[in-house]
Amino acid sequence: MKGLWRGLLTLAGLGLVWQLVVTLGQLPPYLLPAPLVVVASLWRNAGSLLGHAGVTALEIVLGMALGTLLGFGSALALGYSRRVRRWLLPVLIASQAIPVFAIAPLLVLWLGYGLGSKIAMATLIIYFPVTANFYDGLRHTPRGWLDLARVMLPEPRRWAVLRHIAIPAALPALGSGLRVAAAVAPIGAVLGEWVGSSAGLGYLMLHANSRMQVDLMFAALLVLAALAVGLYFIVDASLKRLLPWHPAAPETSETD
Amino acid sequence: MSPPVAAIPCTMTPAPLAVSLRAARLVYSGLTLFDGLDLELTGGCFTCLLGPSGIGKTSLLRLLAGLTAIGISGELRGDDGLPLTGRVAYMAQQDLLLPWLSVLDNVTLGRRLRGERPDRERALQLLTRVGLADCARARPDTLSGGMRQRAALARTLMEDRPVVLMDEPFSGLDALTRLRLQALAAELLAGRTVLLVTHDPLEALRLGDHVLVMNGRPATLSTLPDLPGVPPRDPGDPAVQAAYRAILRLLGAA
Amino acid sequence: MLNVVRAILLLLTVAVLAPGAWADDKPAEVKKLVVMLDWFVNPDHAALVVAQEKGFFAAQNLEVELQTPADPNDPPKLAAAGKVDVAVTYQPQLHIHVNAGLPIKRIGTLVATPLNSLVVLKDGPVKTLADLKGRKIGYSVGGFEEALLKTMLAKAGLKMEDVTLVNVNFSLSPALLAKQVDAVIGAFRNFELNQMDLAKKPGLAFYPEEEGIPPYDELVLVANRDQLNDPRLGRFMAALEQATLYLINHPDEAWKAFIAKHKDLDDELNRRAWRDTLPRLARRPAALDEGRYKRFANFLFKQGVITVALPVSNYAVQLPIPE
Repeated sequence: MKGLWRGLLTLAGLGLVWQLVVTLGQLPPYLLPAPLVVVASLWRNAGSLLGHAGVTALEIVLGMALGTLLGFGSALALGYSRRVRRWLLPVLIASQAIPVFAIAPLLVLWLGYGLGSKIAMATLIIYFPVTANFYDGLRHTPRGWLDLARVMLPEPRRWAVLRHIAIPAALPALGSGLRVAAAVAPIGAVLGEWVGSSAGLGYLMLHANSRMQVDLMFAALLVLAALAVGLYFIVDASLKRLLPWHPAAPETSETD
Repeated sequence: MSPPVAAIPCTMTPAPLAVSLRAARLVYSGLTLFDGLDLELTGGCFTCLLGPSGIGKTSLLRLLAGLTAIGISGELRGDDGLPLTGRVAYMAQQDLLLPWLSVLDNVTLGRRLRGERPDRERALQLLTRVGLADCARARPDTLSGGMRQRAALARTLMEDRPVVLMDEPFSGLDALTRLRLQALAAELLAGRTVLLVTHDPLEALRLGDHVLVMNGRPATLSTLPDLPGVPPRDPGDPAVQAAYRAILRLLGAA
Repeated sequence: MLNVVRAILLLLTVAVLAPGAWADDKPAEVKKLVVMLDWFVNPDHAALVVAQEKGFFAAQNLEVELQTPADPNDPPKLAAAGKVDVAVTYQPQLHIHVNAGLPIKRIGTLVATPLNSLVVLKDGPVKTLADLKGRKIGYSVGGFEEALLKTMLAKAGLKMEDVTLVNVNFSLSPALLAKQVDAVIGAFRNFELNQMDLAKKPGLAFYPEEEGIPPYDELVLVANRDQLNDPRLGRFMAALEQATLYLINHPDEAWKAFIAKHKDLDDELNRRAWRDTLPRLARRPAALDEGRYKRFANFLFKQGVITVALPVSNYAVQLPIPE
């Protein structure tokens, strides 16, 4: 509960700064509307905003799911053999290096103007963080456990060690990757919508901007921000629930 | 207090297996730590390997465990002439319990890794023997250090191997817990061929049927005269005290 | 693409710098006149480029800088905010912006006919507007494409519900060529049609002004309403008038001057676009047909694109050219 109050206080503080900028800078409403004007627009257009938010949220969630699946598999593949690594690692790095907004028009042309291209964008943008983090975790399985496994296995059983030791041990690293993914997946979805779409918060922002409905554009922006923050907290809370054995904060020294 | 050993049905201890290592050699970062080293472990007995830190005792133990790295070599076999692979159980200074598994699942880890069905009944019996019957479902992070090593001991027993290799398993614990666990280990591992590596002379003298001292550069092994009495010996025993003084002189500490 | 992020950063910068920028401490003659184009340089801007390259601005004692925006929606806002002196925009946008309270006024025209058209593939299934029933129409977000389409479709007996609108942003030709959509609106007839010809997939265009929309100026010049006393603006329009006459009298030399400055535009597409644009340039850049603007404003008002049809003098003026 305390966290909620703190969050609301931060929000109020930001709103105050916003109002100050508008008042002191004497900014006209078509450049930066006052916070209350935006809130009023949010209220007025609540139905439309909710509908578009739903579309964008769906793109983000499906993109995250697909990206996580691909990332999980890719990290395992990278650890599998040096040959695979040689082929897959450049692809992985390229996926991060190529700015996603440059690929966006191509994706839209290939996958159409529906959900497909937006999901692909979100998947692309999270692929590297998820894969890199999980791979890192897999590579750094604590030596002691691997030693124990080696002694216990008269014949090496790679998959058994992966399944029982390496993968569970690397799940916290995957979690870190997922937290980053939650923060950037919305960017991918919105970029996809800017390039070509008929629904979603990105589309709405573009539409409102060109019709000089600046208050609506900012309202959509606020909803998008809320969506992104909400997603992050859901992912974070879920990870804490799914990995209860992983300490949230670094352990203090044993007193026993 | 754990119930007397006779009241709990215990598994048959496997036939004692002696271990012989010939011509062990370790070169690390250009430095020869030991060369031409021979080591004999008497079947069914507790051998303690004592030595200062960095001498190479852990490397020697890892050689026996099959966890060899580059730079180490030697001829290793049991007294039946066969290699040791699959006949060794390993216990380290860290408990090596997997934090996402319950204590019970940790104890049965070996079977599951090998793709066999875990024997939960036996695991529970072993947990009772080490005094952790109530903690079977708990996660390791809820246990104290001493309890975690007991769980590790149960896991080691679960493996039911003729040879048990222990690398300073109790050095991370406080003195009282250490003494208790030493006694427990001596009791539960009776009849198996055990190599316990330690830097604590008292521990070696308490537990060892035979005590080897590793010292010098390059390192060599010296065998101490066997002490009277059955392990775990009383630390206050004058024979133990005398041997302790002798060791300190040998290691150049007194 | 990151226009919203840029907008926010720009606005925060403006908030900090705005009070200072309006403190006019330098004599106006010395300051450079900044003109922000609506998009990348193209033949629509022929008069501006020729005025620059053939010394017409210099002859009027003007130093002019032509800038390109990140997003076509920016220039009028920047003029309103005082960050640029002149902005190029579209007459329909002008009405919408003024309706939202932007303090800008039209001071001249670059392209005196509509360029916007509804384009389909010539070999496609759509031969008349009525064939659009049940089909997909791609558009880039402009603000009044819905009003445009509604009127054009109405003329063919269709309703907006009979078609599906898909936002393809600025990828109009690719979307049409890839058959992702059956038609696009917002394609400029001097450009996209040539693009499609060169791609060997010629297009068929339907012109809004022939389908019930009142004629309007596609490209206009706007300035901040409070800066109209700036003597440079009158000289600017004089230079533009001279440049336009030069274009009409010496089209080949004008083209050479255009591509001398913008070598990357020396290709077949721009050559054809130039040929098609020249007849559409405003012969008299400063001249204002108030009646025409009024008709268009009424159209937008009836369609609900703007909430009030203001008197034309509020947002358009014919600047006197100095003798």
